[in-house]
This record gives sequence, structure tokens and C-alpha cells, in this order.
Amino acid sequence: MKIKLTVNGEQHSLDVEPRRILADVLREDCRLTGTHLGCEHGVCGACTVLVDGEAVRACLMLAVQCDGRSVRTVEGLSSPDGEPHPLQRAFSAEHALQCGFCTPGFLMVAAGALEADPTIADDSERIDGLVESNICRCTGYEPIRRAIMRAAAESASRGKP
Amino acid sequence: MEQWTRREDRRLLTGHGRYVADLVVPGCLDAAFVRSTVAHGIVREVDCAAAREVPGVIGAWSAADLSGLPTCTHAAARLQDLPPVPHTLLARLSNEEAVTGREWPALAKERVRYAGEAVAVVVGEDRYRAEDGAAEVVVRIDPLPAVVTPSRAANDSIALFDGLSNTAFTGEAGQPIDESVWQGAAAVVEARYRQQLLMPTPMECRTILAVPEEDGRLSVWSGHQMPHRLRRELAALLDLPVDRIRVVVPDTGGAFGSKSAAFPEFVTVVYLAVTLGRPVRWIEDRLESMTAATRGRGQDQRVRLAADADGHLLAYELQIDADVGAYPHLGVGLPMQTAWMATGPYTTPKVHATVRSVLTNTMVTYPYRGAGRPEATIALERSMDLLARRLGMDPAELRRRNFIPAGSFPYQTPTGRCYDSGDYSTALDLALETIGYGTWRDEQERRRENPDALPLGIGLSCYVERSGGEPGGLHEFAGVEAHEDGTITARCGAAPSGQSHETTFPALVAQALGVEEDRVRLVEGDTDAQPEGLGSFASRSAQVDGAALCHACALLIDRARERAAELWGMPVEEVEWSAGSLRPLRDGSAAIGLAELVKDTGPLRVDDRFESGMGFPFGAHAAVVEVDPELGTVRVLQLVVVDDCGVVLNPAVVRGQAFGSAVQGIGQALYEGIPYGDDGVPQLANGLLDYLLPTAAEIPPIEVKDTRTPTPSTPLGAKGAGESGCIGTPAAIVNAVADALQPADPGLLQMPLTPDVVWRAARAPKYEEAR
Repeated sequence: MKIKLTVNGEQHSLDVEPRRILADVLREDCRLTGTHLGCEHGVCGACTVLVDGEAVRACLMLAVQCDGRSVRTVEGLSSPDGEPHPLQRAFSAEHALQCGFCTPGFLMVAAGALEADPTIADDSERIDGLVESNICRCTGYEPIRRAIMRAAAESASRGKP
Repeated sequence: MEQWTRREDRRLLTGHGRYVADLVVPGCLDAAFVRSTVAHGIVREVDCAAAREVPGVIGAWSAADLSGLPTCTHAAARLQDLPPVPHTLLARLSNEEAVTGREWPALAKERVRYAGEAVAVVVGEDRYRAEDGAAEVVVRIDPLPAVVTPSRAANDSIALFDGLSNTAFTGEAGQPIDESVWQGAAAVVEARYRQQLLMPTPMECRTILAVPEEDGRLSVWSGHQMPHRLRRELAALLDLPVDRIRVVVPDTGGAFGSKSAAFPEFVTVVYLAVTLGRPVRWIEDRLESMTAATRGRGQDQRVRLAADADGHLLAYELQIDADVGAYPHLGVGLPMQTAWMATGPYTTPKVHATVRSVLTNTMVTYPYRGAGRPEATIALERSMDLLARRLGMDPAELRRRNFIPAGSFPYQTPTGRCYDSGDYSTALDLALETIGYGTWRDEQERRRENPDALPLGIGLSCYVERSGGEPGGLHEFAGVEAHEDGTITARCGAAPSGQSHETTFPALVAQALGVEEDRVRLVEGDTDAQPEGLGSFASRSAQVDGAALCHACALLIDRARERAAELWGMPVEEVEWSAGSLRPLRDGSAAIGLAELVKDTGPLRVDDRFESGMGFPFGAHAAVVEVDPELGTVRVLQLVVVDDCGVVLNPAVVRGQAFGSAVQGIGQALYEGIPYGDDGVPQLANGLLDYLLPTAAEIPPIEVKDTRTPTPSTPLGAKGAGESGCIGTPAAIVNAVADALQPADPGLLQMPLTPDVVWRAARAPKYEEAR
């Protein structure tokens, strides 16, 4: 089936089997391997990407469902000039990753929330909810929570006049 | 680089990490395995004919299809039949006697012994095609009765191997304790503990990619902790010289002990790659990992602990029935680690630990973060709390009274360990002070007087563990090379899976040489680039590889001084090394930088083998919990972990590992476990919805602190870090729950402390009522 995906701003015309999941198409057809598969049944969230700005598990969505839609992956987080996203800098500063396998999923969950509502820094319960949505086996989550808080606070202060 | 805290961060945070599944090899095939859905049975039929007809399937094979074949003509190997899974002698994890007569076929032949055991393999143009084919394989297995606990398997009424006992190994540490010791003691406590089977669950499952190269060599990429071991084992299986195989470990998504062997799937994939002469990979998915990846822990324990009226320990006995899974090849001797560490941090004069390793119809038990030490610590520390209650003593005081004093190291334990160093009471005092022990005891008293208040408990756990490895495996290979452009390449045999080596080791080398950090680059995890190595396991990388790198730096400095001395025609004693430069002691003006020296005198590289002693990290963990007796829920109000790993190479990295490890310890105490049906099949059909890894919602306030007692086992003084939480935390939490509920029968509180377990324990007779 022929579909058109916009991934990180770039148009991809693809011919994919209807059964192929979005994560596999991103990884294999678009060669964007930053999206990782940790469980393939929607629990761990490592494969989280943004589809039209909303966080989805790319293992639970078929690529054909995304025809004509816009997908953002971890490769599209940095600005075009290579400047890291505040979340990427904050994750590094807070040691919010060790093996790095789950990291793209946490980054995208947080990026989606932060871009939808830059005021989440004021609501620690909402940030808790974001961290609770994915699984990490290395860090124990606390550094991830701190990193998202840090990036959110930074984004909020930037957004202020 | 300043916006990235670790060197690993740039690629891992931007989606440019390279894990095995990310590697692109043209023409690479994907393997999918057909697995037994029964735990124990006779294989009647495995028919792959229909699978071979599926579009995109390259081949499909049962064990029978890969037996009795004509000799393979591929240049890379003199292969014939699919070889069996190798056993390991490393760290006495297995032995010849245990595996004799108990072959572990890479694909099951006439018998399956655990649910998830592979019976056929299908190779397709991609994973979708391979799985299409796998769905067409016809498998008929007649079920046999299954046993999934060592206690049930030990009587051999159901034998896994005909004519052989299920007990595949026995061992002991220490001397048997005379009955009179128990009879003469003022207090004796006894208990039974179950150390449940756990799944290590790195977020990246197992991976292997085997590529036959045009020159006849074989390249293997794998998320692995021991690339040199994998190379050696594969070479033996394929009957190849080791230098014909290159093993590369790219980015690896966690391991926790579980990625250091040559697994059945690895054997099959490498065999097929060589036989087909094509690249083949296997990227394990979560669901198969949940049945077919190695488990950790798995012990049924019986303990007796005796003390005099003043609380001085007299004797400790630990009997272990270990569940080692269906095949003894990887971990039959692993429970000896528990026996050797049974003494713990105390001066108990008589300690005796016995091990019976029993085969069961479960996937094989293998090291998982802690690997034998959590089982030792949990049994002893739970028993210490029972004894304190029996004696009416404060559990902290009981421990303090029995600690091996800081001045008595090296200390020879009755179970055969020689502890290098320790200061146990300082660690405990810091834990008590940090958690506010007295304040919580007061709060506990207040709640006991208020019938409406939820019961509160405080639990302690003092541990001593072992790092670096076992005798025969305490060495490592490392090297440093100075280049003309002023950069330094450091090499070592380690293979990280998230431990920040790329950041930590260059910093260490830079410090040892006195050069800027960004001039140093680390190479590891590639058997071509670093021909010899042991790997990253047993909390050894900082302790052994770190010390080996420092040793190599010292050698490099010696060589550089010798060369400069020759250059200047003076005795080497008169050449001084300072911050990456050399100068004559008497005439500083002739100084020469290391880069210049290399330019003038040729390549400068040293490689050496370094031998470490064992390290014995220790610590004290304290937990406060609140239990809801109606709901059976446990809320951890506070957890304090104090760990001592000696000299710390990078405090933030060590702290991060201690924190994450403590969370895995919480997982063992409260959530993680594998339920088995009566048929021996793990009830994990819903994957990670059934196996409860801690999520962020389960994380209590955790304070990580440390004391720093350097090990004398290496000049560097670093001991193992990272396994501390798995070892120290579970008993602290279980003890806290026991302290809150005070059940008379400690056996009611078996991990994981699910609401069901806690609810029942809350209704059982209390300790005081039973007295």
C-alpha cells in the first residue's frame, strides 16, 4: 500500500504492507533507528513517537494509519542547525540515561507534552504522569523526572516575555 | 562537548546510538524460533515443510533437519551438525560432572524441558517473513508432568533426564555445626525463605548478528558483556581458530548479568550464517524473552541462627535448594556464591552453608544483578531481624554487636572468603542517621497506640558482597597508546551496557597520565581492536579494568622515560614525567611532550595483563514502610542506601547505578515474580503487564549515600558498584513489612510481597500472640 509520511519534516513516499507497524517502517524503511522496540505490546513506551504532535506507541500503530500524517521521532528533536532540544540537554545534565535504550521514548513523551503545554513545569503531578507512562530499567526514573522538570522550567522561562 | 555530561550522551540522546538491531547489513536474514508451549514433553513431530513454502522464507529447520548432515563445504568452518549449547567453567558456574549425560541441544530434539525451548528455526528475508514461516511449522509434543520448584524436583519422581537425578550439583561452604551448639544457645531462630525467580529484563532483549565475511572470517555483533568469551565459545563450536572470528559489542541496552553467555539461539544463528554463507540476525522480542531468556535467583532456603543471651552470634546454618532450570550448563554452581557469602558482615564463629542445585522445568537460572549475593544477604538479614525480636533487642544494636570490627581486615570467614576491607558500623550509623531512625521508632510507637493508624515498620539490611570475579577470573587486559597528534588510545577488555565507560575510563587515564581528558579515547568491545579480555560482569570494570588501565599508564610512563633517557643519553632516573611531558631532572629546558617523543622515537604502545584481588563492597540499607492491612498494600515511605565501593571514579555515575539498583531491589521485594501454572508454563501471556517491573509510580523517596573504604586488592582502590541495591534493598523492605505486621510465622512473607501475601500475613497470628 502506498502511503505518504512526513517524518521530521521530510516527505517519504513509501510502499508498505498494511500489517507493518509504524516503528518498523520508521526503523527499516526510513532508516531512523532512534525509535527502539522494547516490548512490542505498548507497555514499555521505548518506541514512543509523536504523530501530529501527539505521543503514540509506534508498536501499536500501523504505518498505513499514519498516511498523510506528520511523525516526529527522536532524530527530529534537535533544531535543524543541530542545537540540542532542552530535553536532550537536561537528560544529559541529570544523568537521566544509562544504557540509552528507553531514552528516545521518554524524550518523545516529554516533548509532546511540553510542546502542547509549556506550563507543565508548574504541575509536578503531570510530570510524574509522563514519567510513569514508560519503563526504564537502569535509572530508577528519578533522574528522568528531574530532567523533564529542568527542561520544562527552562522552556517556561524562555517563553516568558 | 560541554553540553553533554557523558560522551555516550550525544548519540544516545539524538537517536544515533547503534544497537545490534540498528545495524544495516545488505542481504541480512532474520531468524525466528518456534518454541515449545509445554514445559516438559516428548517431541513427536516438528515438521517445517509448510514453512518452507511461505514466500520470503529462506529455510526452516528442526533439530532433526540439522543432524547427520554431510560435511559443510563453507570455507569458514568444518561444520556438520548443529552443535549443542556450550557450558561454562567460568567462576565455577558449571562443571563437567554436572553436564555429563545432560546435553543442551540448541534446538530441542526428542524432549523439551522448559516452556519456550526452541524446537525449530525459520529464516526469512525479514522478521515478518520469518514469523510467517514459524506460524506454519507443525509441532506435536506429548506433555509430561512438569516440576518448577527445586523442593518438588529434588525427589526425582519426575526426572528431566532419564536415568539421572535432577540434583545436578551439591556443594558446601564452612564446616557442619554440632547439634550441641544449637542446644546450648540462648536463642535460636529458624525460617524458610523463597528467593523467587526474577527476570533481569534489560530494555533491549538479546541480539546477535552473524556475518560471514568474504575472507572466510566471521563477524558477530551482539549486545553482550563478554565478547572474548563469546568469540572463544563460538570458535570452539564452529571448529575455527579464534582469530577467524571477530565479536563486536555495539551499544547495548542493559544487561544486568544476563547477556554474557552463548545461548541456544546464538548457537543456531551463527551455525546458520556459516552454513548458508549469509548474514543472519536474531533480535529477541519481549514475549520470547519472557519465556526463553535466563532467570535470576531461584532458591528455597532453610536457615538457623543462634546467639547467646547478649546477642552474640554463635552459629548460622543455611541450606539451599537452588532452582537452576532445565539445563546445568550456565548456572549449576552459581548458588555457591550464596554459600561462600553466607557469613555476611558478622563475626559468627560457625557458619555452614550447603547447596543442592536441582534441575526444574524452567528456563536456566543465570547471574542477574547481585548473582548469589542477594540470596545470601536476604536470608541472613531477615534472620537477624527475627533474632532481634526473639532477644527483645533493637535490630541495629544486634548488628552492631556482631560486626566484624574495622580493624580486623583481612578477615577470613568460616565460609572461605577473605574479606579485603570493611567498616560496617560506620555504614550502618550513616544509614540510621540519614533515615532518622529514632524519630521513626517514636512514630511507630505512636501508631501502635492508635488503632486507626496504619502500621509502620522499619527494616535494616547490612550486606557485604564480592566484586571483581572469582579466582582464575580476576584479571583483565588493558593497554594505552600515545599518538603523534597528542591523543591517547586506551583499550581494555570490558564491554559496557550502560555503565558510562566511555566517559569514566578516559577521565581515569587522563588523570593517570596528567593530560587533558579530551585527548583520551577508549576502545573496548571489539575483539579485533582489543585481542584479549574478560568483559564486564561481577561488578568488575571499575575495580579490575580501572586498575588495569592505571597500571598500563604507569608502564607507558616508564617506557616514555626510558626513551627520553636514551634520546638524551642520560640514566632513566634523571628523567622526570610530569603532566604528559618529560624533562631532565637537572635541566628543565629540554622538556619534550609525549606527542613529540612519539614523533621522534616511533609508536609507543603498552599492553599488559593485570591481576586484581577480590573486592568486598558493603553497605547498610534502611527502609520505612507503611502497610495497609485491609488492602495488603505496602507504601515505602523512605529508603536510605549507604554503599561503600571504595574509591569512586565518577560519583554521579556510581550514584546513578546505586539508585537504579535500589529500584530493582524494590522490584524483587514487592513486585517481580514469575507465576507458574500446574503445567509448569509461566503465566506471562500479557508480557510486561504480567511481570511487574517498577514504574515511576512505585519509586519512594530514596537517599543514596556512601562511605569510602578503598580496597587494598588493587593500587586504585575501587571496588564494585552497581549491584548494591539488588543485594541490600530487598531485605530492608521485607524486614520493614515484618516489623510493621509482626507475624509469628516469617515464612508468610515471601517475596514478592504482593497485596495477597501482605493481606494474609496481616491476618495471621502476631509474634507476641504466638509466644
